[in-house]
Amino acid sequence: MPSKLSEHIQQMPSRRNPPYRPAMTIDKEEAAELDKKLGDAANYDIGLLREMVTADPDNIEFRKALVSGIASAEFAGIDAFSRKVCEWQDWDVPRSLIMAMARQTWDEVRHARLATGIIEAHGGKIGEYPDTLAGGAGGGAPASTQNDSNGSRVSHAHGQQAEAAASDEADGDAPQGVAATPQNAMQGPVGMLSAVNVSLEGGALLLFKGTSELGAKIGDELMEHCFDYNWADEVTHTAIGDYFVKQLTEDDPAKEKSALRIHAFSEYGRRRLDEEQTVELKDFFADEMERATAALAGQGHAAQASDDRSSD
Amino acid sequence: MTEARTKQSVLPVVEIDVGPCINCSLCRRACPTEAINYFSTGHRTHVVDKELCIGCDICVKLCPVDCIHLDTEYTPNLEKLAFAKDKARARAKRVRVVMTARRERAHRAKEKVHA
Repeated sequence: MPSKLSEHIQQMPSRRNPPYRPAMTIDKEEAAELDKKLGDAANYDIGLLREMVTADPDNIEFRKALVSGIASAEFAGIDAFSRKVCEWQDWDVPRSLIMAMARQTWDEVRHARLATGIIEAHGGKIGEYPDTLAGGAGGGAPASTQNDSNGSRVSHAHGQQAEAAASDEADGDAPQGVAATPQNAMQGPVGMLSAVNVSLEGGALLLFKGTSELGAKIGDELMEHCFDYNWADEVTHTAIGDYFVKQLTEDDPAKEKSALRIHAFSEYGRRRLDEEQTVELKDFFADEMERATAALAGQGHAAQASDDRSSD
Repeated sequence: MTEARTKQSVLPVVEIDVGPCINCSLCRRACPTEAINYFSTGHRTHVVDKELCIGCDICVKLCPVDCIHLDTEYTPNLEKLAFAKDKARARAKRVRVVMTARRERAHRAKEKVHA
């Protein structure tokens, strides 16, 4: 059975002061304000903002928007990792993994503080720009968008397939009394570490390195040093994820394959499959789509059977 | 292609030390010839397909844990190397198109804000 602490945490909505305000939900008035500050509200995109800062280094609004966009992910990170500290106590995981999540929570707090410092140094404040992510990890906030390695906002259109792909793991280390569902697999240690620590944070290394280099290029020492510092933490986070995924999948090839699959789907969710997509990933998905479709069809049959039983 | 030129154009390939590798995938995603495999290995390990490696060094510079080294012992197949270089050139062209479009959009934003 999940502990009272886990249940309590899962029911707690994600909160921040100022409150989360996802960019996808802003009203016309605020969109018009963004049009004025950034040339177009659609330019509120981390990858593009980095180019805009390069093109116009003296424009402080561009810099504030860039750092605000990145700060959104830091706040969401505080929320997500701190929840794992509580929730994973119900799972069969090493105590050191719980401590690693606590450490990561603290790192994200520091990153959020650094980003806040940069924004304030430029005369701005957190909340001035909307959040590039949907909000925190709890309280039903739709985690429908994430940033890719360049920070571009893309939708998670393949969540179902990702969950189906993760379903193998659901049978593994779920706490006693918790149904082995694909959703649990994505919340579970191997799934979450593969998707977030290894895949997402691994990709973010490029974002932090690039932003630090951008700071150096435009003579913004604060941006250069803060993001270099964040980059170093991100290397540690990726290493933590990789270390524990290795440990939790040791001598279990099926689980290792599942971790690989979750990594692939996480990457797929953040990138568009186009010419730039690797041939390897395309081949991988040709097989995986077939498997995921079969898995989803199986779920459909199960749901139908359940409906039939209830109607009886 | 003269022998001298062929010799000049061959750079040492790379190999990944899987021990310290943290599987961040930066090398794989940056490789212009897609010479680094991960998902197809069946294990959580990044492996270099040396026949596709052109020795560009991009992955070595990107690796956050310095686990990618030059393999000076490997003798490349020149035909396959030429194929890999063509692949890298094609990718460079695609990336340039994307980057140019992004840069132009950034300049348009700058002009619009200043107008």
